[in-house]
Amino acid sequence: MKKIALTLAAAFALSGPALAYDGTNCKAPGNCWEPKPGYPEKVEGSQYDPQHDPAELNKQTEALANMQQRNEWRIYNAKKTGTFEFDVKKIEGYDETAAPPAE
Amino acid sequence: MNRLARNGMRQTSALALTIALGVAAGPALANDQLVELAKDPANWVMTGRDYNAQNYSEMTEINKENVKQLRPAWSFSTGVLHGHEGTPLVVGDKMYVHTPFPNTVFALDLNDPGHILWQNKPKQNPTARTVACCDVVNRGLAYWPGDDSRGPLVFRTQLDGQVVAMDAESGETVWAMEVADIRVGATLTIAPYVIKDMVVIGSSGAELGVRGYVTALDVKTGEQRWRAFATGPDEELLLADDFNAPNPHYGQKNLGTETWEGEAWKIGGGTNWGWYAYDPEEDLFYYGSGNPAPWNETMRPGDNKWTMAIWGREATTGEAKFAYQKTPHDEWDYAGVNVMMLSVQKDKEGNERKLLTHPDRNGIVYTLDRTNGDLVSADKMDDTVNWVKEVNLETGLPLRDPEFGTRMDHMARDICPSAMGYHNQGHDSYDPERELFFMGINHICMDWEPFMLPYRAGQFFVGATLNMYPGPKGDRQNALGLGQIKAYNAISGEMKWEHMERFAVWGGTMATAGGLTFYGTLDGFIKARDSDTGDLLWKFKLPSGVIGHPMTYQHDGRQYVAIYYGVGGWPGVGLVFDLADPTAGLGSVGAFKRLQEYTQMGGGIMVFSIDGEGPYSDPMVGEYVSGQPA
Repeated sequence: MKKIALTLAAAFALSGPALAYDGTNCKAPGNCWEPKPGYPEKVEGSQYDPQHDPAELNKQTEALANMQQRNEWRIYNAKKTGTFEFDVKKIEGYDETAAPPAE
Repeated sequence: MNRLARNGMRQTSALALTIALGVAAGPALANDQLVELAKDPANWVMTGRDYNAQNYSEMTEINKENVKQLRPAWSFSTGVLHGHEGTPLVVGDKMYVHTPFPNTVFALDLNDPGHILWQNKPKQNPTARTVACCDVVNRGLAYWPGDDSRGPLVFRTQLDGQVVAMDAESGETVWAMEVADIRVGATLTIAPYVIKDMVVIGSSGAELGVRGYVTALDVKTGEQRWRAFATGPDEELLLADDFNAPNPHYGQKNLGTETWEGEAWKIGGGTNWGWYAYDPEEDLFYYGSGNPAPWNETMRPGDNKWTMAIWGREATTGEAKFAYQKTPHDEWDYAGVNVMMLSVQKDKEGNERKLLTHPDRNGIVYTLDRTNGDLVSADKMDDTVNWVKEVNLETGLPLRDPEFGTRMDHMARDICPSAMGYHNQGHDSYDPERELFFMGINHICMDWEPFMLPYRAGQFFVGATLNMYPGPKGDRQNALGLGQIKAYNAISGEMKWEHMERFAVWGGTMATAGGLTFYGTLDGFIKARDSDTGDLLWKFKLPSGVIGHPMTYQHDGRQYVAIYYGVGGWPGVGLVFDLADPTAGLGSVGAFKRLQEYTQMGGGIMVFSIDGEGPYSDPMVGEYVSGQPA
């Protein structure tokens, strides 16, 4: 392990711009990417800016939270009634804006 | 009794659920019971046969001497076309069969396999088909053996993102939970995996920018135990305090955000839809996270951690003890989800170690010490791999060849392997006596040209045009020679034997103590080779091509070999969707343009035994007898 640490320390100390990206010129352990010659360090504002829409980027997080909440209602209902119901709209008291009541 | 358990209404009887919910969980016995069930060679209780995921059977009734006598004993049509990946399960007298979308599950009676004990047909939103990346495949089922308070369960994933628990005896749906939302492009194709009274499920959809995650649910209730992401803040990755402590050079904290520009990690891929393995002694389970999104590398500066990683997570908590990123800043879609096979072997220094071997899509076979993540070996699975010169075993870093890098405004040519990898989702096998891994391999290379595109949730987010063709050892003129079968020693790094195949060996292999290696081919053969020499000993032409892996079981004292047929999956998209543009199907249409000359769609199971002996050797089995109940 010591040998690896020394090897890596030497590699990071010597790191500088590579002539071409080969993946071994590390800034820190586990952080070894560098731009290819002629390409930007950051794409924001460059010709390669993907111009991400923050609202689009957050949709997955929202979808996961919504699914998780619906699942909680299903489990709440199953515990309360002894019957599993997938369709949350059929669950008594279901409110899509709220978590189920605490047990 | 032939039950049809239709489940559009998804309402379960009070009795079934009361049983499931009414009693507090007892001791976690599922591990022990599954281990015990797997010890009996009659069973095939999980996709890789046991937690070691070796796809290896100790049975010897079918062996090198008599394999030529293998004949069909019985068959079963699933009634579903498209690609049939994975393999059926056998527990006791029942075989559990899964299908691609619509993800019907059948239970067959092995005493009379023409008799469907039950079938569970979900009603899914057909929109799920439109966000599936590469055909509408599914990789299999999981079995939970039950405990004092609840009978055994069978678990299914659905393309529409639901996980369903079914009563193993009746087929009745016990619960169904949402785990992936097709409206944001997330689907489920992975086989669920049972550990410790939890069912563990990965996610699909990196080609639509889905941020990958793995979820553990309580087997009895469906309640979420934990969820761990592949990208993002450490607390969402569930990194243990001592994450990667034995190998700090792999990277440790904060890299799930720092190796991305801005918030690109939120749409950064790293889904996991391959295979799991589990070591009960270490309480660690192992899997691979897939490609970063989009494929266009110029749009996502950074190492893009922790996509493309081999993970070792504690099952109880979900906490990651280690992760090793094989392809930092992927430029070729070398999605790292492939099979993890566990073995105990002596390393080159003669030290016995608990190992994990993983044939990666990037053309390297990695072997790690599975207790701590140490990299033991990293060998090219074919000498034509060219994106990387070597993997440094001390640093773990691949030394890339810039000639085969990809970037905007550039057409990269002759990259090997192609995006399909030299190995894809096939579940391979390991023979512990011979200390050999039997690998089904693709031999495909590619040209790659990126393009810019915006991210819109639920839409494809790839950004590259691909042309694929046979590798250097194939026949590019005739578009054949797209696969290989090889026997590999992970300690010496040598291939004991290898053979070319007409098409990719997409489905994987199964090894037996009878000295045989079985596998299916895309053009529709099941083959048996001598595990020592690679000599072809037997083959049989199936009704359709194979993308699943063979299994073997014993019933009434007789050994059987079974395999799904049903061409499709990524290599079959041109055939199943009737596509002609060679760049369609993310480049697979051109590579497999000759496939339709050798096979057509179909879906089912073919089961073999010596001389075809089986339940129907007695012609009275399965006969209608007036007045007797079915």
